[in-house]
Amino acid sequence: MRRRLPDVTVYDLRLASPLALFFAAFFAAPLAALLGLSLKGPDGTLGLAQYAAFLGDPFSLGVLGATLWLGLKVTLVCLILGYPLALVATRAGGRVRGLVILAVLTPLLTSVVIRTFAWIVILGRQGVVNGALASLGVSGPPLRLLYAEGGLVAALAQVQMPLMVLPLMTALARIDPSLWDASEALGAGRWRTFRRVTLPLSLPGLIAGSVLTFAAAISGFITQSLIGGGQMLFMPGYIYQQAIALQNWPFAAAMSVIFLVAVLAVIVAFNALGRLARGYAQT
Amino acid sequence: MILDRRRLLTTALSLGAMELFPGLSLAQARPLVFATFTGSWEEAHKAVLVPAFRKETGNAPIVLDPMLSVDQIAKVSAARANPPIDVMLHDPGPALTAQAQDLVEPYPVERSASFKDLIPDAQEATGPAAFFQVVGLTYNPDTVRTKPTSWADLWRPEYKGRVGITNMNSTLGTGFMVEIAKMHGGSEANIDPAFKAMEALKPNLSAVAANPGALATLFQQGQVDISPGNFNAIQILKAKGVPVEFVAPKEGAIAFKTAIQIVRNSPNRDLAFKLIEAAISEPVQTRLMQAPYLIVPTNAKVTMSGEIAQVLARDTDDLRRKFVFQDWKAINAQRAAWMERFNREIKL
Repeated sequence: MRRRLPDVTVYDLRLASPLALFFAAFFAAPLAALLGLSLKGPDGTLGLAQYAAFLGDPFSLGVLGATLWLGLKVTLVCLILGYPLALVATRAGGRVRGLVILAVLTPLLTSVVIRTFAWIVILGRQGVVNGALASLGVSGPPLRLLYAEGGLVAALAQVQMPLMVLPLMTALARIDPSLWDASEALGAGRWRTFRRVTLPLSLPGLIAGSVLTFAAAISGFITQSLIGGGQMLFMPGYIYQQAIALQNWPFAAAMSVIFLVAVLAVIVAFNALGRLARGYAQT
Repeated sequence: MILDRRRLLTTALSLGAMELFPGLSLAQARPLVFATFTGSWEEAHKAVLVPAFRKETGNAPIVLDPMLSVDQIAKVSAARANPPIDVMLHDPGPALTAQAQDLVEPYPVERSASFKDLIPDAQEATGPAAFFQVVGLTYNPDTVRTKPTSWADLWRPEYKGRVGITNMNSTLGTGFMVEIAKMHGGSEANIDPAFKAMEALKPNLSAVAANPGALATLFQQGQVDISPGNFNAIQILKAKGVPVEFVAPKEGAIAFKTAIQIVRNSPNRDLAFKLIEAAISEPVQTRLMQAPYLIVPTNAKVTMSGEIAQVLARDTDDLRRKFVFQDWKAINAQRAAWMERFNREIKL
């Protein structure tokens, strides 16, 4: 009888065990500790008191809602500005493509703190935007851009843009260009080709990009506190305040768990929306 | 030596572990870790306090680890048995918190040479006040023509949209609110009048900064022209050429004692004591008072001179007369509730 050759498509599970151990020690265990801490009530008893305190408080729910809403707005801006960019970069030839990739990647190599400070310079009362408006002869008091939500969305969108464009470019590059030719040869216009061919086929990249941008925007503590200021409260700053300034660790832990669940819910919704859209596109 | 695969792997793993957990190999004798504040404080301590400590101890190893008070407390209370810090630096609020959470060793007053030289307000048995921080009004002299004289000037209509404050997370923000409450009939126990006054201040507010550092940046950007501000923070901006001035309001500048404390269970208790002795000694405080550091001394033997004598106080008596000290025990009792209230009420 012939000796059976080892199956090269299956790897020993033990190969994954170092990573599994690493995740268990540095991801699962702290998360479990966080969950345990969040169950500690103000009087030391175990229970859901911290969760009740957060979920029963309209102000706290408002902060959670504002944070998720901020993430959605930033994701939308990134999508509207990033998709055409990714499309141009993929369909254009060598040099333009290289330039776009360079333009997208360069900000990634700069620290978020520095990019955020640049936005302070741009948005300030005597900043680039207000300066340009004044020199154009637009009268009136300077626009309030810094410490306002519009400025925050713009800054976050710029800071997180690469996270949207790169997955989109990967997805778009995987589309066989002859599909576009075929679509046009069969009489579909550009818009129809985009709607029926390009968009559905790029959905995996679009969803990956949206999830990354959303997650990064809602947790962007530095940009939120420097551009948003102390009067606009979002979940990361709120959790920091409770945990560090007020030393209220159980409440901060409960807030973190609620935040985590809310974010997971939004991400699940993104994915469901993607599936739905794909189904629609194929009919 | 033959490098086989197994030996290579062992070496790589142990090197990796040492990199990940540097404490493993240094468990017996780690250097003294002093958690100072960031920015000008770190610079001043590196330039003046650390050399004095080295001279006193024959070059004992010391590490500066700059971070905020609240972060120091979080780190130490997360590892009480084996704290990563030996000496903490605290504003009055966090100092009391650290004490209440039993994170602090009592200061060995009877062994101290300089403790009795400190002015009475600085003689704290849990950790002497090694420095004062002073909060007054800061303004841009290019845009604010008449020099402000009172906290009440922030409410003047000509500063519409030009005023900056910080929220109550910081000592600066909380101390300012308490002072405003006092001006309107409140106290450390009754902050209501300050919140009422904040309602009236809203049209003037341009920014509620997340922390005093961010507030200082706003002067640089021309976003604000007048704000409550820290004397030392303004000196850095001035040195950079930013048009900004400090003035002590006629109600009195607020003084915060900056306590320096030995962490409970510190393995370097003796070195920690020596560092604090150096910090409260006359020569170190005299040097720290001069430019460019301009840190207000707590040792009564130090003769006030230079910018500090001109702008703040000529001597210790003058200092005690002009400075307002707040009751942080009363403030701490309600501070959490005030911060929550500030979150809710101060929206622009």
